[in-house]
Amino acid sequence: MTRPLPLAILGALAFAALPLVTASNYLVGVGISALIFTVAAAALNLIYGFTGLLSFAQLGFWGIGGYAAALTVVTFGGSYWMGLVYAGLLSGAVALAIGYPILRTNRHAFVISTLTFALLVALIARDWVDLTRGPLGIPNLPSPEAFGITFDSTHKYYAIAWAFTVAMLAFLYALCSSRIGRTLVAIKQNEPLVRAQGISPMPYKLAAFAISAAITGAAGGVFTFYLRIIDTSFLDFYYMQTFLIIVIIGGAGSFWGVILSGVVLSALPEALRFSADFRMIIYGVILVAAMFIMPTGVAGWVRERRLTSMREQLR
Amino acid sequence: MTIDAVYLLQLTLNGIALGLLYALIAVGLSLIFGVMEIINFAHGELLMLGAFGMCFALPVMGLLYWPALIASILGVMLVGFAIYEVLLARLKPDEFERSILITLGLSIIIIHVMQYFFSATPRMVDTQFGFDGVEIGAIRITWTRVIGAGAALVAFAGLYLVLRHTQFGRAMRAIAQNREAALMVGIRPRVVARNAVVLAAGLCGLAGAAIAPIQNVTPYMGQFMIFKAFALVIIGGLGNVPGAVAAAVALGLIENWIGGFFEIVWQEAAVFVIMIAVLFLRPDGLFKRGGMRVG
Repeated sequence: MTRPLPLAILGALAFAALPLVTASNYLVGVGISALIFTVAAAALNLIYGFTGLLSFAQLGFWGIGGYAAALTVVTFGGSYWMGLVYAGLLSGAVALAIGYPILRTNRHAFVISTLTFALLVALIARDWVDLTRGPLGIPNLPSPEAFGITFDSTHKYYAIAWAFTVAMLAFLYALCSSRIGRTLVAIKQNEPLVRAQGISPMPYKLAAFAISAAITGAAGGVFTFYLRIIDTSFLDFYYMQTFLIIVIIGGAGSFWGVILSGVVLSALPEALRFSADFRMIIYGVILVAAMFIMPTGVAGWVRERRLTSMREQLR
Repeated sequence: MTIDAVYLLQLTLNGIALGLLYALIAVGLSLIFGVMEIINFAHGELLMLGAFGMCFALPVMGLLYWPALIASILGVMLVGFAIYEVLLARLKPDEFERSILITLGLSIIIIHVMQYFFSATPRMVDTQFGFDGVEIGAIRITWTRVIGAGAALVAFAGLYLVLRHTQFGRAMRAIAQNREAALMVGIRPRVVARNAVVLAAGLCGLAGAAIAPIQNVTPYMGQFMIFKAFALVIIGGLGNVPGAVAAAVALGLIENWIGGFFEIVWQEAAVFVIMIAVLFLRPDGLFKRGGMRVG
C-alpha cells in the first residue's frame, strides 16, 4: 500500500502552484471552488462517513458561516479574519445547541431534523430582511487585507483559500486518524458495543457535529468573500447536493477518497459547462446511479478489488 | 392591541384548510415510513406533479374541477408506482440513508426536468369556480379552499376505513407492526410496500391538485411544503398516521395565527421551534409510536 501522506503534500504543493502557471481568472476561480468544496465535503465526511450520521444541516452551517462573515465585515465593521472566526464559532455554537436535542433521537429522526434545520436557515435568510437584506443580498464585499497586502484579485485570494484548505484538511486528518477518529468509526459500526466499552457516544457525536459545523461555516465564509456577494442563493440546495455527491462518489468514511473526488468533481461540472438545469439533472442521475452501482464510492470499490485479489493470491 | 374576532376566525378557518393539506402530505410520508422504514425525499415533487397535472388537465377538460382532480391523482399514483418498481423495490431492509439519497437524487431529477421543459415561471391555475367563495357573515373563503379541505377530510375518512377494515389496509398495518410475523402468515412485503407507496402518492397528488388553484404552481413548490411535512412527521412520531394528522392541523392553525399577528419570520420558524421543543421533551415524537396506529 502506498503512503498517502507524502503524495498529499505533493498534491498540496501542486495546487499551490496553480496561480503561477495560469493567468486565467476563470481557472483560478475553479481552483478556489474546488478547494473550498473539498473542505466542506471533508467536514461532511467527518459526520457522515466516520460517525455514520447523515447531516443535511451542513447547508445551514455553510449559510450561517457565509452570512456571519459577511455581516461581521459589512454591518459590524470587523475585519475579514474576525469574520471567519465568528463564522466558525457561530456555526459551532448553533450545532451544539441543536445537536443536543436531535442527537438524542434515533438516526432516522436525526436526518430529517437536520434537513428541516437547513431549510429553516434558508427561510430565515430570505425573511429576516432587516439583518440579511433578504433576496437583495449584500453585494460588494470588501477584499481582505493582511500584512499590508490587499487580496483584491482572484489570484491573490487563491492564496487564502489554499492556506485555509490545507490547514483544515490537516486538522481533519489529525482528528480522523487519532483515537477520537477511531472512536467515531466504532460508534458508526456498533454503538451498543461502544457503550459496553464504557465510552459514552453522546459527547463524541456532539463534538463531531460541532467541529464539522464550524469547519463548514468557516468554509462558507471563505467562499462568500470569493463570490464577493451573499444572497439567498448561497443557501441553495445545490451546495448540499454537491457536498453529498463528493462524499458518496469518493467513498464515505475514506479520508483520501473524499479529498480526491472533491478535487475531481468540483472541476468536472466546470469542464462540462452545460446549462445549470442540465447540470443538476446530471448530478441527480449520478447520485441515483452511484447509490445502485457503487454504494461505497470509489474508495470502497478499490478496497473490495484489493481484498478480492488478496484472497485469490492466498488461495 | 385588541383582537378582532372576525379576523381571528378568518385566520382559524384558513389555518384549518392549510393544516389539512399539510396533513395529506405528512400522512403519505408516515405511511411509507411505517411500512418500509424509509423516507421519500421526492414526496414534495409528487405534490408538484399533482399541481402541474391540474395545470394541464383543467384547460383540456374545460375548467371542470372534479375530472381534472381525479386525472391528476391517477397520474401521480402512476408516478408513485413507477418510482416504487424502478427504485424503491431494490432497497434492502434497513437502508435508511441510502433511501434518502436515492429519493433525493430523484427529486433533483424531477424538479430540473420539469423546469427544463416548463420553465420556472409561476403559473396561475383557473378553475370553474374562479375566485368565487362562500361568505359567512364578514368571513369569506374561496370555494377552492373549501373544496380542498373537504376533499382532504373525505380522503382521511377513506384512509381510516381502508386501513381499519380492508385486507389491503390490515396487511399494511401488519407489516408495520411486525414484519417477520406478517411474512409468516403469508403477507408479501413487496406488494404491501408498493400499495403503500401508491396510496401515499395518491394522497400527495390530491394535496397538489387541491393546492394548485390556491397557490402559484412552480417546479419548486414541493420543496417548501416538504420540509414542513418532514418536521410534522417528527413531531407526530415517525410512522404514526393520526399523530401526523394532528400535528399538521395544529401547525396550520399556529402558522396562520402567528402570521396574522407577528412578523413573517416567526411564521416560517414556528414549525422548527416546535420540532426542537418536542424533541427535547419527547425524543420519539408527541404521540409515541407502537407499530403503525390508525385509531
